[in-house]
Amino acid sequence: MRNLTVLASAFALVLACPLVNAQTPAAKSADTAAASAANGKRAFTSVGCVACHGAQGQGTAMGIQIAPPPFELPALITYVRQPTGKMPPFAPGAVSDQQLADIYAFLKSVAPPPSASETLTGNADNGKKLFAAYGCYECHGRQGAGASTGPRIGPPAITLAAVLRYVRAPTGQMPPYTTKVVSDQDLADIYTYLKSLPPPPPASSIPLLNQ
Amino acid sequence: MRKSKKDSVNRRDFLRAAAAGTAALVVHPAVAKAASPEQPRATGAPPLLKAQPDAPAGAEVVTVDRPGSDFMVDVLKTLNFEYLCANPGNSFRSLHESLINYGGNRTPEFITCCHEESSVAMGHGYAKIEGKPLLVCVHGTVGLQHASMAIYDAFCDRVPVYIVLGNFGDAAERFGQVDWTHSAQDPAAMIRDYVKWDDRPVSLQGFSESAVRAYKIATTPPMMPVALVADHELQEYAISDGANLSVPKLTMTSPPVGDSGAVAEIARLLVAAENPVLVTDRVARTPAGLAGLIELAETLQAPVVDRNGRMNFPTRHPLNHTERGGAAIANADVIAGLELTDFWSTVNSVGGQLNPVVRPSTKPGTKLVSITANELYMKSNYQDFQRYAAVDIAIAADAEATLPSLIEAVKRQITDDRKRTFQDRGAKLATAHQQAMQAQRETAASGWDATPISTARMSSEIWAQIKDEDWSLVSNCQFVSRWPLRLWDFNKHYHYIGGEGGYGVGYGLPAAVGAALANRKHGRLTVNIQNDGDLMFAPGVLWTAAHHRIPLLIVMHNNRAYHQELMQVQMMADRHNRGITNASIGSVLVDPPIDYSKLAQGMGVHAEGPISDPDDLAPAIRRAIAIVKGGDPALIDVLTQPR
Repeated sequence: MRNLTVLASAFALVLACPLVNAQTPAAKSADTAAASAANGKRAFTSVGCVACHGAQGQGTAMGIQIAPPPFELPALITYVRQPTGKMPPFAPGAVSDQQLADIYAFLKSVAPPPSASETLTGNADNGKKLFAAYGCYECHGRQGAGASTGPRIGPPAITLAAVLRYVRAPTGQMPPYTTKVVSDQDLADIYTYLKSLPPPPPASSIPLLNQ
Repeated sequence: MRKSKKDSVNRRDFLRAAAAGTAALVVHPAVAKAASPEQPRATGAPPLLKAQPDAPAGAEVVTVDRPGSDFMVDVLKTLNFEYLCANPGNSFRSLHESLINYGGNRTPEFITCCHEESSVAMGHGYAKIEGKPLLVCVHGTVGLQHASMAIYDAFCDRVPVYIVLGNFGDAAERFGQVDWTHSAQDPAAMIRDYVKWDDRPVSLQGFSESAVRAYKIATTPPMMPVALVADHELQEYAISDGANLSVPKLTMTSPPVGDSGAVAEIARLLVAAENPVLVTDRVARTPAGLAGLIELAETLQAPVVDRNGRMNFPTRHPLNHTERGGAAIANADVIAGLELTDFWSTVNSVGGQLNPVVRPSTKPGTKLVSITANELYMKSNYQDFQRYAAVDIAIAADAEATLPSLIEAVKRQITDDRKRTFQDRGAKLATAHQQAMQAQRETAASGWDATPISTARMSSEIWAQIKDEDWSLVSNCQFVSRWPLRLWDFNKHYHYIGGEGGYGVGYGLPAAVGAALANRKHGRLTVNIQNDGDLMFAPGVLWTAAHHRIPLLIVMHNNRAYHQELMQVQMMADRHNRGITNASIGSVLVDPPIDYSKLAQGMGVHAEGPISDPDDLAPAIRRAIAIVKGGDPALIDVLTQPR
């Protein structure tokens, strides 16, 4: 009979964490703290980030590429404290806000230069068609609202550049979409469509979610 | 084919003669010798057929006053089966007749099924609600092959189903081609790898003892299906006047309880731990299991991460940390796995694309302890036993039965200092639980007004209508992103029954009907969120529900696909780098779309739909619930997001 194993959503770690918009006071403080890429490099190893994300944050089979970081620093700190999917949580005792700021600086310093495709302009109407035709809906829902098989990606919480990187070399059960299958322009169109979607309403505004 | 009378005298001919009172005189010694071993096989003493009182001497005997199947009914009635689920088959025709006439079609009552897979899956769902098996009769060979997948599901799910197989064992007693094709030397061979025990008794007394033994074995943890062959000769020939038949007393076996020393050591680890976690899967077999787990968790102020194989722990309890299970496990220093199906995957994660890459999900040095009855009985061929988990303490025992002694051991070891620590921990855990619950609600809001309807919206609409009823959700939540478990208030043992066990498609609807059958006498509102692809395996059970007036609310999760497979094919298309627009070939259910409403109506079930506007859901659910409260099944076809 059929294998009904649920597709793991390891890529939920980055693509659309609902927590990324939150900003704690500690995060705000860290945002303005002087960050040291050199310290960050050491912390990146000592804390254990390298185990899943590689020595240069380039990504491995266990963790996505995070150089350059897909989030702004405050969102990154929030996510690291309370991640989703298979990413383990790191309490302030394990890695401080300052250390995360240093790691953030390190990841920015080792990031490859942006490619031309990262500045592409997309077409939302075409992106909507491609979103269905290319099967993105299968895991992420027909409006990108997310499910147990894939996180919410409408609207996306990360940059087009991060999407382009991730889709070409994903981790977990997210399949790879090469340029032979989906062009950068197609992805830019899909991204633009997803960007055009409204954010979800707060749960407090929906009576059925407060019963 | 039967042998020629010229070549030999078969057993039936011999018995006819015996019944006429002339056997001793006319039967050739060689024939008598050949027939003699057969006598105890059937009843213990001749004659097996009795003469008609009004028949002239020498006339063929064509009736049986008291067939062996009557005695089988006597035996089965001592096991107190409420229901018999079966699709009729001639290999158990005599037993069928005895059940409905001699047995009065009561305990068990015959439930007409349209497929043997439905019969067994109904028994699967029924047992998880009722805590005991029902009886399933299966036609030899062909019926058993239909039933086999459902038997495998029940086996993997550790659920007792009591199966009686018809068979024509004696080749000389088969009437024709069909009897031959419905016969086997060893009928249970094909399912032996996934039943706990089977037997093919060759006498009625043997049947009696094996029947009682089978019941004990099936219902002793780890519970599993059992199969008993009822040969047609045993069923159809008369019980001899002198037969000394009896039914042995059924004494239920106490479930295995953990060794006291090992239990005390687990208690010591849990009490001393700073961050203990209880991970559960099939712990609560009864309401006592649910209560025991609550007491253990509260005594320790330890979080529970529930794999939801059963209704183990209330979803809104502040110590339920299922929705932040990854974080809880990553932070744990002691993890107690209670009836875990897959301990290894609880403490390891697998990444990678082409090849699995394994990483521990726990901190170095985390102690792992296990209590499970699975270690008491394991088979080798089918690999449902999962990857080997290297734990520090392993207790081969039933976790529910071991909970009282574990709780006592924990209480004995708790000092006042530890109590204060536990209270502090409990307060933090309660906060984290609330945050996790709020995160679920925020996630549920995503796509709230979408069309097709989001599974979160559908689940919330159902909950709004049933939350003040005495309800029971009897379908696996996995395929609707677990939304009911993330949003509803589950707190009674019948609020949830887990899933298939073996992930075999076709379980959903018949298991739900079986569970609803068990819930019927309790007056519970039974709810089934039904996958479309699953329903199409054996939709005839809709008729069974209508025919037997089994009240059940069926809400279709109709994503018009075998969606898991659609995703898998998509993944392969990506991996093979061959384009991604053909992945739907072979795995979607469109062109034409299936009208489940008409399908259900055609089988006598109230039905509405398809519904694609989320605002139309609530009134449709209300109408359907009114039907269900009136004692009938009702179906609502809902067009949904994929998951």
